[in-house]
Amino acid sequence: MAKIERTQKLFLKSLKEKFQGQDVQSETTEFYKFNGYHQSPRKEEFVKASRAVEMDRGISMYDPVRCHLGGIPLGQRQLMTYEVSGTGVFVEGDDLHFVNNSAMQQMWDDIRRTVIVNMDLAHQTLQKRLGKEVTPETINEYLHVLNHAMPGAAVVQEHMVETHPGLVDDCYVKVFTGDQELADDLEPQFVLDVEKLFPAKQAQALSAAVGKSLWQAIHIPTTVSRTCDGGTTSRWSAMQIGMSFIGAYRMCAGEAAVADLSYAAKHAGVVQMASHLPARRARGPNEPGGIMFGVFSDIVQANRKYPNDPARASLEVVGAGTMLFDQIWLGSYMSGGVGFTQYATAAYTDNILDEYTYYGMDYIKDKYKVDWRNPSPSDKVKPTQEIVNDIATEVCLNGMEQYEQFPTLMEDHFGGSQRAGVLAAACGLSGSIATGNSNAGLNAWYLCMLLHKDGWSRLGFFGYDLQDQCGSANTLSIRGDEGAIGEVRGPNYPNYAMNVGHQGEYAAIVGGAHYGRGDAFCFDPRVKICFADPALKFDFAEPRREFAKGAIREFMPAGERSLIIPAR
Amino acid sequence: MKVKVNMAYKPQYGPGTSKVAENRRKQMNPNQKLEKMRDVTDEDIVLILGHRAPGAAYPTAHPPLAEQQEPDCPIRKIVTPTDGAKAGDRVRYIQFTDSMFFAPCHPYQRTYTECYRFRGIDPGTLSGRQIVECRERDLEKYSKELVNTELLDAARTGIRGATVHGHSLRLAENGMMFDMLQRSVLGEDGVVRYVKNQIGEPLDRAVTIGKPLDEKWLKAHTTIFHSLGDVAYRDDKEYIEYVQRIHSLRTKYGFLPKEA
Repeated sequence: MAKIERTQKLFLKSLKEKFQGQDVQSETTEFYKFNGYHQSPRKEEFVKASRAVEMDRGISMYDPVRCHLGGIPLGQRQLMTYEVSGTGVFVEGDDLHFVNNSAMQQMWDDIRRTVIVNMDLAHQTLQKRLGKEVTPETINEYLHVLNHAMPGAAVVQEHMVETHPGLVDDCYVKVFTGDQELADDLEPQFVLDVEKLFPAKQAQALSAAVGKSLWQAIHIPTTVSRTCDGGTTSRWSAMQIGMSFIGAYRMCAGEAAVADLSYAAKHAGVVQMASHLPARRARGPNEPGGIMFGVFSDIVQANRKYPNDPARASLEVVGAGTMLFDQIWLGSYMSGGVGFTQYATAAYTDNILDEYTYYGMDYIKDKYKVDWRNPSPSDKVKPTQEIVNDIATEVCLNGMEQYEQFPTLMEDHFGGSQRAGVLAAACGLSGSIATGNSNAGLNAWYLCMLLHKDGWSRLGFFGYDLQDQCGSANTLSIRGDEGAIGEVRGPNYPNYAMNVGHQGEYAAIVGGAHYGRGDAFCFDPRVKICFADPALKFDFAEPRREFAKGAIREFMPAGERSLIIPAR
Repeated sequence: MKVKVNMAYKPQYGPGTSKVAENRRKQMNPNQKLEKMRDVTDEDIVLILGHRAPGAAYPTAHPPLAEQQEPDCPIRKIVTPTDGAKAGDRVRYIQFTDSMFFAPCHPYQRTYTECYRFRGIDPGTLSGRQIVECRERDLEKYSKELVNTELLDAARTGIRGATVHGHSLRLAENGMMFDMLQRSVLGEDGVVRYVKNQIGEPLDRAVTIGKPLDEKWLKAHTTIFHSLGDVAYRDDKEYIEYVQRIHSLRTKYGFLPKEA
């Protein structure tokens, strides 16, 4: 390890905005003079809203003076704003809780309500068993019927109830294939055109991987997946697929061949976004705990938009991943706590992780000649223990020194878990982008944790004792029940299943290994193509920008209900 | 406290060639006497802890061991109970917050130190606080050592049961670590007094802790590496290499490390 010169500090602008008029390198400041929660416009808004609710319902609610520490409200120190990293948008911390942020809700909605279903199996049944002709024209007709049926409309029976299109306008189906000739023959409104959506090199790799098979990218209504659960998605989709085949191809509704179509749509040809979890964690498919890190890195599309900046692409995965896995999955599904947001946002606010990661990029370029701005497998470093240790050590020490030399930076990340996650993420990303090996990146993560703990004699909350101090031992294990390559690990991997501030970063480390190589996808080309869809409510190429839009209340989500409730 | 060492190996108390590493080893080594810095009385310790009123009997969780039937357990024959366990005291706690601006002791260091020096304890280690739980009368004895020795600075070490926020914040302009509840205050005479117990309940009378230690002393005695202090972490190469070695061995061999 050897410190390298890097004069740019990406976090400085944020610190100066957050701590206006103060020397961001000073070790002292003033406390107890900020008038408590009144310094926060958002918390003032909360109080006003709560008073109205109380008058309406007659039950007490938000009362930060009486109820916080017996009369000492939040805000004895300065309550900070946050810049959503990479966006220039400053928001209040409260605006990054998923309850207060419609973009965050929609990101998860868009994943949970998605399945990918193969069409080749159904076409074989239609052609070989029923003697039906399948042509681009019949496929177009079927897709018309399916886009009528998928939101909840009838296609075969008489006297059926149906859903209001204005309530399910986010529901639709498109198709994709690696067969460009077939894609050109289908109606453009129904096609995810790989050649148009991806940079040429990525498009070529994706088309080759998908081949001549044809796949449906299906997004059921947000309202449905919210009212039910992720396990509903494939069932809802399969029902409408079955009915649409019956309608479009004039099949008998009760004939045995329908079972083949149903089996294909419900089981044989389905790509879920997440596998179901064991009984102890009891969730169906398409719930966050079952999303493999490789799949998540394919869901996020930043490497499509920024193919020459694997660090940026990885940082977008960090933002999306910490929001989903920390704030929603561990925070609410598993724990029920409200405070997880404070941990998670540290990784995608104030450009701090960005600065540490780009320091790592400068380091791997300077020392190992990795031309990270031109991602390629050809200049990746051999992932030896010595090299991984070297990269992790330098990136970790640099980050620790930044916290030391900018006391406002330390105050920004006031919790050890925040600092631990951010420092280790920078090390992991630097390691994985340098080597193109996700497990090497995970190994760098754990060395950082040990260094951090010994340097400052502290790490994170209790959970870090468990997860991070034993993590070195499993990073390179791929034996069944003991380990796996990073791509197929996930939030329910045994050693990862309990600890906030990790899973989103792990996903990004996996993604970084591929973004650093210039790969078109990390694990599943179909998922990569599916989420490139510009018609999706949430833009997966810019998760952090979308969160910022949600925070400043400029994001328009799905799940409209004003059509069926009294006007306010 | 003199501890009889009867171990199969000689403890090294950690690696490192720096002053910080040396300070850490000194705190951990039970054969090294910790420097006494102040004299907080037994009664004042009880007030800060806030678990019982001074002079009140110790509440018990079970009858004294001598009065209850003990099972025929080989472990109980090996382990001598502490005074608190013998008496059947309930388990209570003391919790510290240590400022990253050169406080004398820090969470893991506290835990290691307590494990080497005290018996019958259950420490918990986080980034912003470190708790140690044990039988109440043992706790009061240990707390006295933790408070009266060089392990504590009046301004940069906090005794906080809840709402511990402050370890990583800038210091107040008077040098005190932030405490939302302001359990301890710096008087105009330069002396720090606790006006609330560790959980934040106001005390009937203030408990004097003494004057904060000066910056030079703190930087010379701290157990945190810090690039704005006397020792930057990267400058203790032996320490870094030690951690790298532990990591490499665990990576290759799990928790039964052996070098090829």
